[in-house]
Amino acid sequence: MRPFTYVRAHEVGTALAEAEADSRADFLAGGTTQLDLMKDGVLRPDRLIDITRLPLHGIEERQGALIVGALVTMEELAADPVAGRRLPLVREALLRSASVQLRNMATIGGNLLQRTRCRYFRDPTVAACNKRDRGSGCAAVHGSHRTHAVLGTSEHCIATHASDVAVTLVALDAVVHISGAAGDRKVPLTGFYRTPGDTPDVENDLRPGELIAAVEIPLLPEGARSDYLKVRDRSSYEFALASAAVAVGLGADRRIEWARVGLGGVATVPWRAVEAEAVLTGSPADGEVFASAAAAAVAGAEPRPQNAFKVDLAQRTLVRTLQTVTGAGS
Amino acid sequence: MTTISRPRLIGPGINRVDGPLKVTGRAPYPNDFAYPGMVHAVLVRSTAGAGRITEIDTTAAERSPGVVSVLTHLNAGPLARGPMTPLGVSPPAPLQDDAILHYGQIVAVAVAETFEEATEAAYAVRVGYADEPAVLDLDDPRAKVRTNPWGRDADRGDVPVALAGAEVVVDETYLTVDNTNNPMGPLTTVARWEGDTLVVNNSTQWASLEGAALAAAFGIPEESVHVVAPYVGGGFGAGLRVWQHVVLAALAARVTGRPVKLVLTRPQMFTACGHRPKGRQRVRLGATREGALVAVQHEARTASAVDDDNFEPTASVSATAYACPNVITRDVQARLNVPVPNSMRGPGTATGNYALECAMDELAYRLGMDPLELRLRNDAAVHPPTGLPWSSRAHKECLERGAELFGWSRRTHEPRSMREDGLLVGYGLAAVGYPWFRARCSARATIRRDGTAYVCSAGTEIGNGAYTVLVQLSAEALGLDPGQVTFGLGDSTMPMAPQTGGSSLTGAVGSAAHEACRALVGAFTDLVADDGDSPLRGCTADDVEPADGALRRRDDPAVHESYRDILARHHRPDLSADGESTPLTADELGMAPAGAFGAKYVEVRVDPDLGRIRVARALSVIDGGRIVNEKTARSQIIGGTVGGIGMALFEETVSDPGSGRIANATLGDYIVPVNADIPDMQVEFAGSWDRANPVGTKGIGEIGLVGLAPAIANAVFHATGRRIRSLPITLDQLL
Repeated sequence: MRPFTYVRAHEVGTALAEAEADSRADFLAGGTTQLDLMKDGVLRPDRLIDITRLPLHGIEERQGALIVGALVTMEELAADPVAGRRLPLVREALLRSASVQLRNMATIGGNLLQRTRCRYFRDPTVAACNKRDRGSGCAAVHGSHRTHAVLGTSEHCIATHASDVAVTLVALDAVVHISGAAGDRKVPLTGFYRTPGDTPDVENDLRPGELIAAVEIPLLPEGARSDYLKVRDRSSYEFALASAAVAVGLGADRRIEWARVGLGGVATVPWRAVEAEAVLTGSPADGEVFASAAAAAVAGAEPRPQNAFKVDLAQRTLVRTLQTVTGAGS
Repeated sequence: MTTISRPRLIGPGINRVDGPLKVTGRAPYPNDFAYPGMVHAVLVRSTAGAGRITEIDTTAAERSPGVVSVLTHLNAGPLARGPMTPLGVSPPAPLQDDAILHYGQIVAVAVAETFEEATEAAYAVRVGYADEPAVLDLDDPRAKVRTNPWGRDADRGDVPVALAGAEVVVDETYLTVDNTNNPMGPLTTVARWEGDTLVVNNSTQWASLEGAALAAAFGIPEESVHVVAPYVGGGFGAGLRVWQHVVLAALAARVTGRPVKLVLTRPQMFTACGHRPKGRQRVRLGATREGALVAVQHEARTASAVDDDNFEPTASVSATAYACPNVITRDVQARLNVPVPNSMRGPGTATGNYALECAMDELAYRLGMDPLELRLRNDAAVHPPTGLPWSSRAHKECLERGAELFGWSRRTHEPRSMREDGLLVGYGLAAVGYPWFRARCSARATIRRDGTAYVCSAGTEIGNGAYTVLVQLSAEALGLDPGQVTFGLGDSTMPMAPQTGGSSLTGAVGSAAHEACRALVGAFTDLVADDGDSPLRGCTADDVEPADGALRRRDDPAVHESYRDILARHHRPDLSADGESTPLTADELGMAPAGAFGAKYVEVRVDPDLGRIRVARALSVIDGGRIVNEKTARSQIIGGTVGGIGMALFEETVSDPGSGRIANATLGDYIVPVNADIPDMQVEFAGSWDRANPVGTKGIGEIGLVGLAPAIANAVFHATGRRIRSLPITLDQLL
């Protein structure tokens, strides 16, 4: 691990100025992934700007949304009573993530920016990784890729986005509040992430020196039904092989009035399954509709030999979640 | 063999004598040792899977801050390979030439003032390779193949004729994958030279071998190597060899003239200290319609490294498992460009038993017979190859008691016939046996003026409870309270002991300690033989028995004298005696020495849509001979059960095609069970005092793991109707 300098910022403005002054500087929040990547030689910043003291810690209910400061920890958000009541799928996704020790350190802003678990990305002795080194190739395509993505992939990168909570947040139309030296802006989370294409090193819309300040999560309407289901090889402390975030409004005639669907563990970004939502909206809540919606969700999948099962598993996971939230179709 | 009055079969579950030290952080594990001037060594590993090093540039590394030395094959100098062992050859000596035998092979060592500086320097070492195609597949025709590598292939009766005439035949192939031991404590060596003496604090399961191998490496007398390993953070076999990094730490200490600490990183633990090698097994069973086995043919092909002959007898489990007149077992080893494998809890047996017990379940279904009934019908009442009686065997009792405790009778035979809460329910069982192994061992026992005792032997405690049971056995042999006895382990200057492996430690060290304690009793009777003041005057060791800190006459228990009084009157600060235990052969015993037997019963719940498998219950009934300490014994079995669940459902060391690079070499990517995966685990002991060693025990370190994988595979079949013939069984196979 090479030496780096460490500074602690107390104001957002100072943090942004520090970052703007040094292109080899990175922000440090919970550090739960970042420090591992530094120890493994994947990230080699000259300078870390500790932002944990910035005033970005609160959770606030405002105009039908929860404004979550970027430095709120995963565990704090999971324990928030409004989130628990109005965003139960967010709470479920958080509690299915990592371990309580990690959730006590990891922040919501950091969670959205977490790097992939792809072992080729994380091992710098592997030369071919377009995400680490654009143009160097992708070792996973012909390597070990059972846990890799089937949606949003390209020949240049098939690394899975690992976040659980982000899957619920894209489904809920959350908005990212970004601060930068050039000013503040808001970006819908669905437009925040970049699929790899031929630039897998570019993962999101954040410009150099910018910082996530908060995440705005619209609350679910009263009466909404929702759940987050995570399927993995073991029962806890593991990333998803497939997950589904579902929220629906069910009419008195058991028709689905509206639907929000996100998929995790199967895509290069937290995946909003708009094709599934289109099938569900206005349709009766039944098994046939669920199966059609699930098929629509994975219609664009590009499976590879070891992860082909994910196309099937993602559909089964989504169908099960739809059954759970609607109480129908099983 | 001496006999002693027998304590009860299941000994008291006293707390671990080293528990307080461990939970308060005062037990010194290898990486707790530090010495003035100590520097840190970090390994550089090959990124080629096979071939040669064409160039190695250490210039930048040597200029890196804090660097003291960088070792490569160009400057390491000659090191000799360690000795042959019962577990195979020692690993090749490190850094001796430019040959690359596997991805991850150690090619350089950076030594620096701090761990971080050494790590950074290690990144800076530039190595060029001339790649050659790596041989990675068990069936690659380029792989060197060894037949009958351990001389254990069995031939009994006429299998081809019996199979041809069998009324029912099973012929199936089962695959197992590489598993990695991954003890919690990363293997650590702290090495320093005191003049010509090499002192190492080391994670080892075999301190005596460590001394011999390091002496060989450096061409120094064995007495000049002092291995200290009082506590080791687990092993599961990883500490059974003297690995290259151990030699390199000692070399770095010699080159730098400073104490050197080398701690393997978790990814390095996947290439530097062994693994359970992958294998393929074909099992053919022939039976009558009534379920009597008439033929067993078991063939196994397992992987080893290019320059290695890892001990992994797999097919041979079928030579002794069941009463069957016609048996063939064949083991074949294919040498591949993979890291040197090694014993991992239940080597060979865990995988061999998996294939055999799955095949038995398949046979039961083909016969339409209860799988339990099939096992009972073919029970090996005598040792099948020799016809000798076993030194102890309660296999049937384990199966029957297990069925009763588990509620096996509630099982309905048809696959997919049991459901609860929307989940498929499956019951599975496996019968298990673990081969007997014991080696010669020495110990020394001392009683001090204050009446307390110290007994020692160079065996190692790896979290198994060795200190505790050895204190109990010694206290019993000396007539002391366990609180009055201290046991010393893990030091190569102590009397020679074999490995903590092969489920043999309690039998070996316990028997040696028993003999040493018996000899010590003799030393006391010798001391008072002509002592007119002693009530024991004229007694031999056989005339007295130890009790309550004293020796008392067997013919008149009211006549006794305490150790303290004897020592005080003779002005002796203490009295010591050595003991040695040599296992008897079957011929000498007139019996087949038996390892442990058992029965494993498992209930699984499978989600019919998502394929998720949960083990809901796991029951082990174990015939381990005499159980010295019920609590530590139970811990061994439940620890093994967790390992067995890992082997069945989670663990797989994944290698990259082409290179053999390990693709999941972290504990985040190599999946082991978490608490939420572990069910209620029930353990019961059965059987009787074993007749093959003086303390009556049989080893139980490994049998806890053996049998879980087939029991789970069989339960998954019962639940789903899907017969998965490879491990681990994951949800994608059940979609």
